[in-house]
Amino acid sequence: MTTRERSTASATRSNTLRFLLAVVAGVTALAVTPAVQAADVEAGRRKAEACAVCHGPSGNSTMPTVPSLAGQPPTYTYYQLVMFKREKRRDPQMSPFAVNLSDEEMQDIAAYYAAQTPARPPGSSDTATTEAGDRLVKQHFCNSCHTPALMGQKHIPRLAGQQKEYLLKQLRGFKTQTAADLDGSMTMSAQPLTEQDIEVLADYLAHLRPGGGS
Amino acid sequence: MKAALLTVLVILLAMPVLAQQAPPPWQQGRSAEMANSPLAPHAQPPAPKAASEIPVNTIKVPQGFKAELWASGIDNARSMAWGDKGTLFVGSRGAGNVYAIVDRNGTREVKTIAKGLQMPNGVAFKDGTLYVAEISRITKFEGIENTLDSPPQAKVVIDTLPKDLPHGWKVLAFGPDGKLYFNIGAPCNICMPPETHAKIVRVNPDGTGLEYVAHGVRNSVGLDFHPVTNELYFSNHGRDWLGEDVPNDTLHHVVQRGVNFGYPMCHQGDILDPVFGKGHACSEFAAPLLKLGPHVAPIGVHFYRGNMFPAEYKNRLFIAEKGSWNKTDKIGFRVTMVTLQPGRPPKEDVFAEGWMQSGGQFWGRPAYVQEMKDGSLLIADDYAGAIYRVSYQK
Repeated sequence: MTTRERSTASATRSNTLRFLLAVVAGVTALAVTPAVQAADVEAGRRKAEACAVCHGPSGNSTMPTVPSLAGQPPTYTYYQLVMFKREKRRDPQMSPFAVNLSDEEMQDIAAYYAAQTPARPPGSSDTATTEAGDRLVKQHFCNSCHTPALMGQKHIPRLAGQQKEYLLKQLRGFKTQTAADLDGSMTMSAQPLTEQDIEVLADYLAHLRPGGGS
Repeated sequence: MKAALLTVLVILLAMPVLAQQAPPPWQQGRSAEMANSPLAPHAQPPAPKAASEIPVNTIKVPQGFKAELWASGIDNARSMAWGDKGTLFVGSRGAGNVYAIVDRNGTREVKTIAKGLQMPNGVAFKDGTLYVAEISRITKFEGIENTLDSPPQAKVVIDTLPKDLPHGWKVLAFGPDGKLYFNIGAPCNICMPPETHAKIVRVNPDGTGLEYVAHGVRNSVGLDFHPVTNELYFSNHGRDWLGEDVPNDTLHHVVQRGVNFGYPMCHQGDILDPVFGKGHACSEFAAPLLKLGPHVAPIGVHFYRGNMFPAEYKNRLFIAEKGSWNKTDKIGFRVTMVTLQPGRPPKEDVFAEGWMQSGGQFWGRPAYVQEMKDGSLLIADDYAGAIYRVSYQK
């Protein structure tokens, strides 16, 4: 029930001690205070080598249940990693991996994947599914947050060209209120969806060409 | 995780049905020409930053002042109130928690004393009792400082406030008259609000005698009373999607109870709303005391009462600006100070900045300010989940 978190400060008695401690504190501060710097794509690429086994060499997954990360907004990937690390999202593969990442590493990895080009999905939906999917996207205002081309923004993921099985899993999870959800928006949005809606949406989104075009 | 998720769900599923078949609230009022705008609110991170991840050395303060990390790991830390025995109580918004921070010989211990609440942004303290403002109710925890490890059951002060989530989270403070002051924001970006909304309100500490203090207030989540005149000052967020540089967010001074500041007809005292302003003139309404800049998002305000800072700081108003989203070139992400000058317009200067770096990247968002007994200033950052302390040494 009660969470505890400690932060430190120093209390001193004498002036000499205070001076010495100030020097020590100053040096320590220099050593441990993180610098603000832009995320490092190259460092992210190296760190992401371990991710390629499942997410694909450039973040384009070929495994049906594993999401593609190429071209995902950096904040999206970063926040999902934080959620895995802090056990707000759980997965047998991802959780043990994320727990060892530093804040900087997560931002670097996210920047690397954001810089990769999403692959064109193979095949296409049939005409009826395309029309129904397009209608559902409009009806449920998916493009309000996921952007008109469904490429995502900020903490909101790209859906266009995502793996179909993964989309199915996530949408079903939001519908049953069991999927990790950053702010509850998707859980709420998925409530009116029927299983048939979910299957249509997943097929439609998985076959959308990232970045538009036909 | 389950508990946090459940909290969010309880909140969201309690929303009106409009949620499932309507665009998200932040998009309301966006014109068709702006449909492809990449602007959208910044999401609250899923977890607070660890102390080692907070670059507190990038916070710039005036010569002679020093900013340090005072406490961290406080998920979504928002408004702050002191207990009689030196406990700092901290509210949150989406996190649904209320925290108690106890200083033990220079080590801060953060306890979560309530969780699963509906956006408990506002906290106030009086005579041994903590008051917490959620969306539609105010509750109290009596004798809380004696029982921080086994908090008492919350008692309802008032639970009949509007249930709307947009701008429904509240600041809470005791006025010089012993009444509890808070806001009931407009339930939208821009709309004709119900008669019960877009107000500053006060109520007796037992929940009786609700009165409107100010009307036409879109979204104020920061208020304080002048240490000398006892008059109410509050911050206010202007509407979105009217433009990159308009309208300004504003600071208001309530000279007379019942004053109307113009929302949704008039913004910043001199811009008529293109829809709701028809048939009106801004001269029908009271003007703000000061324009703070477009979309800067002023949250907490606090008059400096202490003696640690140089003499000219006395009675200055600190304003925490959480920073803009509805603007391409971000502004805000800083703490400013307003000097009130008799007979002249107030003067606003930057006091602390550095949460936003060049290029618009930011690592924290100052949300509320509170003073310590020694006169140093605490700044709560809901984005990093941290509290900083700014002190001054001659």
